[in-house]
Amino acid sequence: MNKNFTVTSEPLSNGCCVVRLMGYLDAHTATLLEETMQGVITQGCNRIVVDFEELEYISSAGLGVFMVFIEEVRADRGDIKLAAMKPKVFTVFDLLGFPALFEIHQTVALAHAAFPTTT
Amino acid sequence: MTMADEHIEPLTIPASTLYLQTVRSYILQHIGMLDFNEFEENGIVLAVDEAVSNLIRHAYRGDDTKKISITLSVDDDEVQVEICDTADAFDPASAESPDMRQYFIDRRRGGLGILLMTRVMDTITYKPAAVGDRVNTLTLTKRRRS
Repeated sequence: MNKNFTVTSEPLSNGCCVVRLMGYLDAHTATLLEETMQGVITQGCNRIVVDFEELEYISSAGLGVFMVFIEEVRADRGDIKLAAMKPKVFTVFDLLGFPALFEIHQTVALAHAAFPTTT
Repeated sequence: MTMADEHIEPLTIPASTLYLQTVRSYILQHIGMLDFNEFEENGIVLAVDEAVSNLIRHAYRGDDTKKISITLSVDDDEVQVEICDTADAFDPASAESPDMRQYFIDRRRGGLGILLMTRVMDTITYKPAAVGDRVNTLTLTKRRRS
């Protein structure tokens, strides 16, 4: 349906999961990301790493999806940590000051490791 | 021959987010050979995407029987993108920019497209429809470096 954008999710260790983005995230494809994020949270994961490595483009509609869920996951002692952005994708986050609200890591492994160990 | 001599055909799309990729490809096709770096290129594409997305979602409210027309022009000094619609007039250049600190405190979403446009383009001008013409025109301009 959305040939230009795909999103997948899978569990990681330590109660975390990763949401992987590929392609172009805009006002059309943001709906698919929102559905996927909602599904991941509904299934009980609130320690989410978002892997941007294969994301080529993002507009403000894509950024808005993370704003939808950040309050909910943090209220449940979780977080959304962003990782592996291409420089031109990072620039869009940076232009709007999003690094003040979201942790942005160089790699998925670093973002994953930044979650405290569960006991 | 200067770049001003090049004629670029306008692009007209239905007011649907399905066509955002088409809009981005159109812009990139014509600015890709200019002297912009990848951040400037992405910024121009992003500004047009945000402007068109706003028209689709807010001005036309997803009515894909409506049309949006995009005209790119390039000369030695600048790139101009004119985006034309026939919805109720709304001047994005006059919209108040959100205070991002308060935005994050309030955990708001949306409303960032205009701010992004202003941060990546040099000028944004808006001409509402005149009597008898019914076409609003938003013009985004990015200067080329000398």
